[in-house]
Amino acid sequence: MKIVIHMITTLTLIGVIVGGLLSEINDWASPLIAANQKAETEKAIFLVQPEGKSYETIPKTGIEIYRVYGADKNLVGYSMVSVGNGFQGKVKIMTGLSKDLSEINIIEILEQVETPGLGTKITEEPFKDQFKGLQTTPQVNWVKGKVPEQPNEIQTITGATISSKSVVTIINSGLAQARNLKERGVL
Amino acid sequence: MDLFIIFISAAIVNNFVLSLFLGICPFLGVSNKTSSALSMGMAVTFVMVLTAIVSWILYFLILIPFKLEFLQIPSFILVIASLVQFVEMVIKKVSQPLYRALGIFLPLITTNCAILGLALLLSMREYSLIQSIIFGLGAGAGFTLALFIMAGIREELELTDVPKPFRGVPISLITAGLLALAFMGFAGMI
Amino acid sequence: MKKNKSLGYEYIKGLWEINPVFKQVLGMCPALAVTVSVMNGLAMGLATTFVLVFSSLLISSIRKFIPNQVRIAAFIVVIATFVTIADLVMKAKFPELSKALGPFVPLIVVNCLILGRQEAFSSKNNPLRSLMDALGNGTGFLIALVVMGGIREMIGSRTLLDYPILPAGFEPWLIMILPAGAFLTLGLLMGLANFYVDKKKRNQQQELIAKYRKPSTTLEIKGEEA
Repeated sequence: MKIVIHMITTLTLIGVIVGGLLSEINDWASPLIAANQKAETEKAIFLVQPEGKSYETIPKTGIEIYRVYGADKNLVGYSMVSVGNGFQGKVKIMTGLSKDLSEINIIEILEQVETPGLGTKITEEPFKDQFKGLQTTPQVNWVKGKVPEQPNEIQTITGATISSKSVVTIINSGLAQARNLKERGVL
Repeated sequence: MDLFIIFISAAIVNNFVLSLFLGICPFLGVSNKTSSALSMGMAVTFVMVLTAIVSWILYFLILIPFKLEFLQIPSFILVIASLVQFVEMVIKKVSQPLYRALGIFLPLITTNCAILGLALLLSMREYSLIQSIIFGLGAGAGFTLALFIMAGIREELELTDVPKPFRGVPISLITAGLLALAFMGFAGMI
Repeated sequence: MKKNKSLGYEYIKGLWEINPVFKQVLGMCPALAVTVSVMNGLAMGLATTFVLVFSSLLISSIRKFIPNQVRIAAFIVVIATFVTIADLVMKAKFPELSKALGPFVPLIVVNCLILGRQEAFSSKNNPLRSLMDALGNGTGFLIALVVMGGIREMIGSRTLLDYPILPAGFEPWLIMILPAGAFLTLGLLMGLANFYVDKKKRNQQQELIAKYRKPSTTLEIKGEEA
């Protein structure tokens, strides 16, 4: 009995101390983590809208989308974050869209956990550059093993077809939501 | 369809052992006999499915609503440890033959990183409860498959003349490398 | 029984004699998974060393108060705490690295190396000794990870710490940064390590025998079956 009490008190004591310590450290770290994420998002917003000088969060959209303004406060386009599943896990993409959503400026892969050396090629310039000035009507399409002919097509990466396709799917689903918002006049 | 992809992905394409490197210790340590590999695999699969359910409830219904995400690691590991103890007790009570078959593997599972890895991955990927269960099932199946194949190869390896410095762990690692290469062939499947 | 060994020895032994990866075959998951580059190996090694050192210090200080029956549970809770701290600090201060290591930072908690050192050493020795032991093992682990990361990064992506070091004509071996390459690299490294250990042992034996034999007799020693 004595041993049982000893066991329970020791474990409880350790638990309490540990819990307190962790919540202290969490209080210190969470604002920093949030600031890091914000800085990173901001960087990406302007990366995909090179002419942008300031931005504004659009509330009540259900997705993460920003209005980006140029030097003389005119709207240059939108930066949109869309998330979806890639080959191994979540892929998070920032897409720069033109004012009428008909063209993609630049895309940036914010997060991915694809296979090193294959799927991770979606983060490299040759793949991302395909999206520069890509038409989005009716939607973005991919072709495999040949050079794209249409202005809304990109070529998938050899050995990473699934990762490439998921990028296209994720952008399309984001686009569909953005168009819907545009029709309702929220954007 | 979505569930099927999760299963196949966890079991074969992104095999826990051969492509995510989770559960390497039992993979190198236990897999000497095909029969014990199968029992171990079954024990792990069983615990994985339970872990998937319990950690999903813990994370999405308790930790997130109360903003306690920073307690994720300690709480997951404690839940897994007590779960394994509990399973051991239940099996011992319910079925003696099953206990004899799986019993000795259960304590080893607590420190098997595949189990904690499963819990962390399903919370990271924000799976639903059903998806989590299928994910656990697939991961367990993949673990069993890798362990079983490896055990089969090692049974044969014992009869071969391996250069002395490579006996034991090194040759197992190299075999695992070749297996991982073979499993890469499944990459185009989904 | 270990009390007669010097503090320096407790540190040095972790580097090679009981190197966690090459000799104890512990902590294989991170050793294989994150070593696609030197930087990742270094970060993982440092994070693990941090957790190991602080867990060892704490556990060896409170070792007399922990009842034997619940020691594993207590160890795990302590380790999990330091892992969470490491994870939060990395996320707050080094977001890039934390992203690269992904779920493997939380997985330090089940790194058998850490639990193994607590069970085998810290729960039986005083804090100072445990500190040296933890530092030694941590450094040994770090060295193994950096060596593996170096080899894989160099051959797999032609760079070292992101500096291209091999000529552009060298086609990177993609396999080295894929999972299969991790297994192969570690297998070959361990084989190589065993080879040198065996050779050293053989040389020592040969010297010993030569000392006790008459100098005129020629000897021929074959591989010793150990």
